[in-house]
Amino acid sequence: MPPPVVTGISPKEGPPGTRVTIRGEFLGNKQSDIIGVSICGCDCLLSAEWKSPNKIIARSGPGKGRGDIIITTLTGGTGTSTVQFRGYHEAVGPLKESAVWVEEVQSIGWGSTKSIQLDDPLGLSLEANENKFPEDDLQEMFPGCNGDLSSENFSPCWFLLQNHSNSSFDDLRAGLAFLRRKVDSHQEGQLSFLKGNVSAVMEQLEVLEALQVAFQKDVESFGLDRTEKIVEAIKECRNEGKMLFDGVLKGREKADRTRNALGVLHRFKFLFTLPTAIQRKSDYDAIISDYSRAQNLFGKTEVKLFKDVLTEVRLKVAEIKEELKKKLHTMPSSLDNQKKIIRNLVQLEYEGDPGWEGITVRMNFIMEQLNACHSFYSEQIASVKPKSGKRDKNSQDKQAAINCRVECIEDLCDIISILIPDLWSLGQSYFSGELSTKFDQNKLDEFKAGVENCLKEMCRLVREVAGKGLTGSWPNCLQVVRAVLVALKHIPHDTILALVQFFRIECVKNILLTTAEQTKRLVDKEDWVLIHDSTHGTITHLPSLFEKLFNDSLSILKESALKLGPKEAELFSNPAMKSEVNEHAHAIFNNYIQCLDTLSDINDDEQSMSVSQLAFPTFRTSLSHTLNWEDRVLACISNCRYSCEVTVPRMEKTWNEAELPSLDLSKPTSDLRSLKSRLTACYIENRTDPLVGTVEPSMYIGQFEWEADFTPVGVRPYANEIIANVLVVHAQVERRCGWLKEEVLTEVVETVAEELSRLMLCVSHMSRAGAIQATLDITAVEHALAKYTTTQARNFFSEALDAIPALDEESKKTVDKLLAEYKKKMYMQLLPFEAKSNS
Amino acid sequence: MSKKPAPQPALHKVIMVGSGGVGKSALTLQFMYDEFVEDYEPTKADSYRKKVVLDGEEVQIDILDTAGQEDYAAIRDNYFRSGEGFLCVFSITEEESFQATQDFREQILRVKNDENIPFLLVGNKGDLDEKRKVTLAEAQGRAQDWGVPYVETSAKTRENVDKVFFDLMREIRSRKMEDNKMSNGRGKDRCKRKKLKCTIL
Ligand SMILES: Nc1nc2c(ncn2[C@@H]2O[C@H](COP(=O)(O)OP(=O)(O)O)[C@@H](O)[C@H]2O)c(=O)[nH]1
Ligand SMILES: [Mg+2]
Repeated sequence: MPPPVVTGISPKEGPPGTRVTIRGEFLGNKQSDIIGVSICGCDCLLSAEWKSPNKIIARSGPGKGRGDIIITTLTGGTGTSTVQFRGYHEAVGPLKESAVWVEEVQSIGWGSTKSIQLDDPLGLSLEANENKFPEDDLQEMFPGCNGDLSSENFSPCWFLLQNHSNSSFDDLRAGLAFLRRKVDSHQEGQLSFLKGNVSAVMEQLEVLEALQVAFQKDVESFGLDRTEKIVEAIKECRNEGKMLFDGVLKGREKADRTRNALGVLHRFKFLFTLPTAIQRKSDYDAIISDYSRAQNLFGKTEVKLFKDVLTEVRLKVAEIKEELKKKLHTMPSSLDNQKKIIRNLVQLEYEGDPGWEGITVRMNFIMEQLNACHSFYSEQIASVKPKSGKRDKNSQDKQAAINCRVECIEDLCDIISILIPDLWSLGQSYFSGELSTKFDQNKLDEFKAGVENCLKEMCRLVREVAGKGLTGSWPNCLQVVRAVLVALKHIPHDTILALVQFFRIECVKNILLTTAEQTKRLVDKEDWVLIHDSTHGTITHLPSLFEKLFNDSLSILKESALKLGPKEAELFSNPAMKSEVNEHAHAIFNNYIQCLDTLSDINDDEQSMSVSQLAFPTFRTSLSHTLNWEDRVLACISNCRYSCEVTVPRMEKTWNEAELPSLDLSKPTSDLRSLKSRLTACYIENRTDPLVGTVEPSMYIGQFEWEADFTPVGVRPYANEIIANVLVVHAQVERRCGWLKEEVLTEVVETVAEELSRLMLCVSHMSRAGAIQATLDITAVEHALAKYTTTQARNFFSEALDAIPALDEESKKTVDKLLAEYKKKMYMQLLPFEAKSNS
Repeated sequence: MSKKPAPQPALHKVIMVGSGGVGKSALTLQFMYDEFVEDYEPTKADSYRKKVVLDGEEVQIDILDTAGQEDYAAIRDNYFRSGEGFLCVFSITEEESFQATQDFREQILRVKNDENIPFLLVGNKGDLDEKRKVTLAEAQGRAQDWGVPYVETSAKTRENVDKVFFDLMREIRSRKMEDNKMSNGRGKDRCKRKKLKCTIL
């Protein structure tokens, strides 16, 4: 940027301090560009105010005379100026109107030397010579000179131009002659002076004489002392003068006072606005700082006005104090707000300990809140209860009550999480002296105890509420309580830690209890949808339902109670706890076994049904609703085995993998096994009894007699019926529980054999034909059931055969022939028994 | 300034006269800095000087912007004395300011003691035609009486602003050339002044 050029100045002259507008070019682009402003050689940078690149406003300095205006900018350097400013010092006389009061001391001399003009050295009149020739031009023409006669730099030309620019040449010539005469007279001495002025001297003598005569005359008429009159005149003059100036002086005094008052008013404006500010209660901080300022400035003032205002202010401040105190004691209030109030109170010299008061208020508030919350929910719960009229509504009401409790616990926790940190922080501020109060170190313990009390009260209430039962909501509540721990991270919270521990334990217990409860209810969940499992036969959903239930509960536990939060202790450190948990676990399994047991119970109606079905076997197994008892028992047996072998070990593993006390499930496993055996026995019994029961009636159907004579043509229907019935059982077991086939069928066969032997032993007389027939029947049965014939059964069969009278060769042949025929005929029917080994 | 070795370009001293508020400062600032000042701030005595090119010749114009206010009338004489040309401004929207030009004219003539002093009668605020109080004919009539040009300007729209300053400078320049010739005929002017002075006394 080019150097600045000043081309305009407004105004172009003035006393020091004149506000001048400087115009020109390249005067910088912002305030900070200007690094120098000099007017008449005086540095005026401080007052310079940048307006635009063409305009700066500044105040002139004390420089006197004409001078350049030089602006220096950061980028343009030192500039030049085409215009000039003239500084002058204003001399103000007592009669001149002036905008500022000029101290009299300075103006002694009454209008400076300028007004008392010496006689003109040229002896010319000074008519109309008031600076008619512009001083600026003179300065330009005669730089460094002036027109002051007494000055070293006196310039005659200046003087003439200044004082006699209007005098005619003749006048000036006369003046020169006069001056010369004067100079000459000085040089010639007194005598020549007298000589040259004889006429004048004579004239003077004459005048003196006349004067003496006049004086004599005066003495005659007025007496000797003539000063009297003069004194009087002077006195009068003085009075006159006084009167004349009295006004001015009074005016000045008044102006002074007004100015003073204005100054004071202005300077202490805040004091007078303070009462209204307080009235408005806009900003306490501002009011308080003004108040303390006022206290400092006027606290010991003797000025009535200030005193009055201050009293008013003090009254108002007292009101404020009262109000602030009220506010301090009003809850809820934000921490910052409270701190501010406390600080304000301290600043207002509140009697007492506002910090501690704030703390107490807060503590009490927390206690109140806790209890209010508790009683609110107590009422709520109480209002839920009486409504319960019917039984099914009861559980609903129960749940509603639990929900209420959970909400209550949540609210209690919230109160603590939100309010305690604030309280603690307030305490810290108090004890660290941050609240600018004097604090009582002894109160530290009291404070800690107070906080502890709040926590304890909260724990007490929570325990009380929780003690009434939360069932499934324990994990929820545990989470809520744990959240408090997080909120109180920086505050001693052992109490809460203990509460968390309590909740964890309760949580574990309750979940296990609930699981046991739910296990019991699995009975209703059984849908009898049969699922075929190649190794375990036909099972139902029950085992997996149970497993899922169990696993779900465990994962809830894992997510809640078993998860170790920071600082939380091991749950099962004490043995009592361990065994209690184990008991709960066993209860679950017992319930499961119970459940299986219940499901396999015989229903009387169905029992009779199953008997009839024996005669007409229908295989409607897949229809779950109409599933008959045998199918159900078989499913239960399979379930038992499946549970034993698959799900229970898996559950044990899951349990032990969780952070739970190790669990030994051998007892439930063996219980399951024995249930399985019991059910199997039951099944066999139920299957065999009707089967065996029909043998005798069938054998003697149609008045059949063993002693009668007839020609045996083949195996009799009763034997076929036996085989068919065993086939039915076989088919059922094979379908449902392949692995049970052996056990069931051998048992059945044994019973059948026993029955046959009993029946044979009971026959007293047997014809030859009867013998042939009996041998054929029993051998056929034995042959058919050979696969499942145990030694015991074989013995029975032998017993039966032994009971038959011995056969001759002929008869034996007949038997063999018929048997061969029978075997051929029955081959297909008997195939299922052969498939035994395949399954 | 005395340090500058190069010959200074000719300096023409222009003085703005007229009642307060007619737009003297506005005209000056418009001419000097191309800016229009909206607010009215009474002037005491402002000084401006810059180089301009007058008909191909570089010259300096020195503008003295004076107060129109009566309070300062006493010091006006002093300022007028140094002026070489005058822009006597009135506002066409204010009758009184037009009347006042008469007094200014007389005062200038008294101080300068020269009937032919370069002088322009300027009717400012031409943009406010709807508020016009002084007719063109009136103003032209007065200018004719005085034997000076009359120009209407607007400090706001800059209309004729350059014109009045340049026209005045041209007159000053030709007056100076005339004077130079005259000075050979030995201070005729001075005699004239003296004579006038005597009549006042
Ligand atoms: N509309 C208009 N206003 C003007 C014009 N000239 C000056 N003014 C305004 O008139 C007021 C006085 O102007 P100023 O130049 O300070 O008057 P001065 O006392 O003669 O110097 C200011 O508010 C200007 O804005 C103009 O030509 N047109
Ligand atoms: Mg002005």
